[in-house]
Amino acid sequence: MSIRFDQVTKAFGPKTVLKNVSFQVEKGEILFILGKSGMGKSVTLKHIVGILKPDAGRVFVENNDVTQLDANELAQIRRMCGMVFQHPALLDSLTILDNVSFGLRTPQYLLTLPRPLTEKEIREKVAEKLALVHLGTDILDHYPPEISYGMQKRVSLARTLAPDPKFLLFDEPTTGLDPITTNAVNDLIFDLSRKLNVTSVVVSHDMSCALKIADRILVLDQAKILAHGTVSQIKNSEEILIQEFLAETLGLLDPDEGNVLKPVRSIAR
Amino acid sequence: MTQFLESTLFKLLHELGSVWLFYFRVVGTFLSTRGNFKPIVAQIVSVTIRSMSTVIFAGVFVGAILVLQFNMILDKYDASSLLGGLNTSTVVREVGPLIISFLLAGKIGAYTAAELGTMRVTEQIEAIECLGTNPLQYLVVPRLVGIVISSLFLLIIGLIISIAGSMVVASVFCGINYLEYSNSIPRFTTLWTITGGILKSMVYGSIVATVACHKGYTASGGARGVGRAVTSAAVYTNFYILIANFITSHFLNFSHEMIELFTGVHS
Repeated sequence: MSIRFDQVTKAFGPKTVLKNVSFQVEKGEILFILGKSGMGKSVTLKHIVGILKPDAGRVFVENNDVTQLDANELAQIRRMCGMVFQHPALLDSLTILDNVSFGLRTPQYLLTLPRPLTEKEIREKVAEKLALVHLGTDILDHYPPEISYGMQKRVSLARTLAPDPKFLLFDEPTTGLDPITTNAVNDLIFDLSRKLNVTSVVVSHDMSCALKIADRILVLDQAKILAHGTVSQIKNSEEILIQEFLAETLGLLDPDEGNVLKPVRSIAR
Repeated sequence: MTQFLESTLFKLLHELGSVWLFYFRVVGTFLSTRGNFKPIVAQIVSVTIRSMSTVIFAGVFVGAILVLQFNMILDKYDASSLLGGLNTSTVVREVGPLIISFLLAGKIGAYTAAELGTMRVTEQIEAIECLGTNPLQYLVVPRLVGIVISSLFLLIIGLIISIAGSMVVASVFCGINYLEYSNSIPRFTTLWTITGGILKSMVYGSIVATVACHKGYTASGGARGVGRAVTSAAVYTNFYILIANFITSHFLNFSHEMIELFTGVHS
């Protein structure tokens, strides 16, 4: 097992976002976390890298209890995890080259190398990662505000991939992207998992992506896990929320009939 | 009424406590990490250059206004020869550090709070953290130390400009020549006056930097959150500076008296 949540509870003021949530993600697996907005999906992701600490419970990454680590140990865990945020979160004051190579210059990454990378090697690695997200090297000297939002999101993904993380955590990676790039990103997540055994946790609203590439799907609702299982198990779930998600994805809501939900179980199967 | 006072006092203490804790965290990070020299120098250069024009402008006019005001009173008592000393002492020990810190708060403090606040709400700070870099070291230490050291440089620049400007105004508008003006300066402006001015400038600079960085770093809630952070940075900075002014003035007067008492040297 590579990531494990053990009875995690988290509240912000009076609002409980996660309540006794437990699940685990195996090595090389792709887990999609689905749910309505504000149901704690992003919060779950931020617990993995220790940006948020649970009020109760524990979070393990490769047998390390993230909730008990000091700053240096946490930095090592974060070095193994790459996180793609909801916003592109690029540093406005740095060029695209400096943004993508940011993780390649950190002490934690340099410790994993026999010698520091030369500037030429850094440029090559940056170009290689940008190519993975369908971007060329012509934007290397641009600043983030000078490129489009969709390109910024892809640069952000390239930055996360640059230090070759073992775990990839995606917070709505395809929001704001065109359908072609969305497919490319989904293929990339799938390839990284299958070829390099990278473990991925993807927070998304996109059930169609989940059905396409997820190994398992976890649905959060009302601070709890509503369903957790393989794609076929989720397809067969009788939970209304999941059926709504499936119906929306499979285009089964009929606007002429006031969005009345058609029976989806037989079709989804 | 009592409830209102209680909650206001509680809020103020909570605010003050969190600013102090943040300050200690940043100082701790500064002392325990390496490689801060270059970014700090870059910040000092950036802050000093960006504030230079404002400080020069303010320096000239503050000195000029004080010369005219002091001269109006001193002239009545036929004591215009003391104008240089009185004006310089006032600018060095009180007005200079105060005006420069207010200017810094308006220009650099607001900029820093907005910059860090935007970085916080667009998840840039979290991204830095996730890439294995301590955002306090990468973003806050250079800004905080840079602003404090810059405030000292800006004070020196502002004072020189102010004294020079005052001399010109005194000569042109008050008929006091440069020699007469500068002769009285050492009578009122001693090493202790300059030390006091430097100390005040460092304290106010620390307040501007800490409050701006704290408000920006802890901003939340999108564009409105950034707006709130900038506003409260400006309000709290000015509030804390005024309190610090009273405390440092009192402390300096007390220290001065103690030094005179124990050394017997009057300065």
